[in-house]
Amino acid sequence: MTVEAGQSVVPDPVPDAVVPDAAPAVRATDLVKTFGSIRAVDGVSFDLAPGRIYGLLGPNGSGKTTLIRLLTGMARPTSGRAEVLGVPMPSRAVLARIGYMTQSDGIYPGLTVGENARFFAAVYGVRERGPIDDALGMVDLADRVDTVAGTLSGGQRRRLSLACALVHRPPVLFLDEPTVGIDPLLRVEFWTHFRALAAGGATIIVSSHVMDEADRCDELLFVRSGKVIARGTGRELRDRAGTADLEQAFLSLGAHVEATR
Amino acid sequence: MSGRRVVAIFRRVVQEIRRDHRSVALLLVVPVVMTGLIAFIVREGESPAVSAVVVNPAGPPGLVVAGALGVALEADGGSATLIADEATARAAIEDGSASVAVLLPAEIAPGVAMTVTILTNGMDPAGEASQVAAVGRAMLAATATVTGITPPTIERTTLYGVPSDDPMAPFAPAILGFLAYFFVYILTGISFLRERTGGTLERLMATPVARGEVVGGYLLGFGLFATLQVAILLAWGFGSVQVPALGPLPSFSVGLGLPIAGSPFLAFIVVVVAALGAVSLGIFLSTFARTELQVVQFIPIVIVPQFLLCGVLFPISSLPEILQPLVGLMPLTYAVDGMRQVLIAGADLGAAALQADLAVLTLVAVFFATIASLTIRREVA
Repeated sequence: MTVEAGQSVVPDPVPDAVVPDAAPAVRATDLVKTFGSIRAVDGVSFDLAPGRIYGLLGPNGSGKTTLIRLLTGMARPTSGRAEVLGVPMPSRAVLARIGYMTQSDGIYPGLTVGENARFFAAVYGVRERGPIDDALGMVDLADRVDTVAGTLSGGQRRRLSLACALVHRPPVLFLDEPTVGIDPLLRVEFWTHFRALAAGGATIIVSSHVMDEADRCDELLFVRSGKVIARGTGRELRDRAGTADLEQAFLSLGAHVEATR
Repeated sequence: MSGRRVVAIFRRVVQEIRRDHRSVALLLVVPVVMTGLIAFIVREGESPAVSAVVVNPAGPPGLVVAGALGVALEADGGSATLIADEATARAAIEDGSASVAVLLPAEIAPGVAMTVTILTNGMDPAGEASQVAAVGRAMLAATATVTGITPPTIERTTLYGVPSDDPMAPFAPAILGFLAYFFVYILTGISFLRERTGGTLERLMATPVARGEVVGGYLLGFGLFATLQVAILLAWGFGSVQVPALGPLPSFSVGLGLPIAGSPFLAFIVVVVAALGAVSLGIFLSTFARTELQVVQFIPIVIVPQFLLCGVLFPISSLPEILQPLVGLMPLTYAVDGMRQVLIAGADLGAAALQADLAVLTLVAVFFATIASLTIRREVA
């Protein structure tokens, strides 16, 4: 792939009008998760439509990962309800239709690239080779199937991690900071993949604390102190805050929340 | 060489260990507890009361000796009862109603050299040695009270196998069982910990996999390697292959050639079932560890007491009374006993003692597998 850093090959976000009013792929209803006296997720409600890319944006410790863990059923909410594809979580049946890329690579360093992908495919109940080859091809690791994962570079491990989340062609994809620690070139590549998956109908929830990634999402949710403080396209949020960039918008919208707390 | 840098590293080491309470405990508390336990076992260890049956083919002079023997044994809390013949004596030893049988010679008379045979079970060589010694002392005391009788020569024989034929034989059952158990525990504990800390368990839990499936897969996987390990270990222990002389090399044999009374396959089953328990234990304990060091730190807590109490080092019968309930709780106790049943007593699957050992080991494996799978939660931290 010959992409210069900074040069975008990603198509523009899908305008709102294109998306029909479909049943939500992901729904949060008054989600609350407390750890002792800390309210990591503090009353979050939203509907996420299929086929779109949503960005969960917020600083470290704002509750993004906990929110994703509640939505995937990995953690039980203190109160409220998480639904994916219309089914309350946790549900093992729905987990078969969710792809989850954790913050850590979550791959077996002692297995080869191919063995890792085949393992997760088997766990997801995928029997055919097609989806596995597609996933490895997509992240450009098809020629490294026999390489032991522990010897891959950091970027290659991230790509394998993404492939392992795609082996079962999930309609809903949770990506927890997928681009942390990877170079700008690979980041552009990743966003190309995400856009292609969304074009294929997948709902993608990406968490990030990097604002410059935000404009690649169809819609953004600003997360701060366990709350979703604002939601909209990048342009809408900038307009609402009356600022030129998203970072300023986040700070200004955040300040508003802090003031009304 | 900069003293300052050495001091900086020294301080770093101290700061880090001070905050790691388990390491501090391991260094300062565990050795004290361990030596205390060993001292307690050795000091308070009771030489178990001898319950002897006496076979007397010698008529009235034998009765006198047997009576004196009974008096001498009762002084130490033991007992001696007369029994009809050697066959019933053997039966009493086998069913455990007597610990020692004393076979008096056919003729007991002043001036006649006399040989007394002491028969024990043979399953617990160290424990029985102390009983035989106690009977020997009582025998000398008994003959001294009967005038005109020369002190007897004492011969020792066992119900199962020939005693002390091979000095390694008494230890083999325990050592083989213990080693297999220990290595499987370490291997499983550390690999499952990696699963927890490497993020793969979190990822696995985000798939439709059930936790029972995870534990089941681990049991099969490590069970396979445990099986291989045990097969090789037992082949090495019981096998003996003669390699013929080849050129300048003299002929030699490969394998320890340990004697085995029962079926090697049964011994294999006993150790494999014990090792499966170790797999489950490793998974379970990895819950309480965050680093590989901490898995290793469980060794003095989980493995060492089992080693001390399972009868490898100290005969169970001579352990202090207060520790006896603990002995019954140690899975290794049953592995060691099962191995002794097969190796020394030649027990087959019909033997009640072996059935009990296998049942307990199976229960232990199932129990730990169950609680191990309960510790794997979807809500992993």
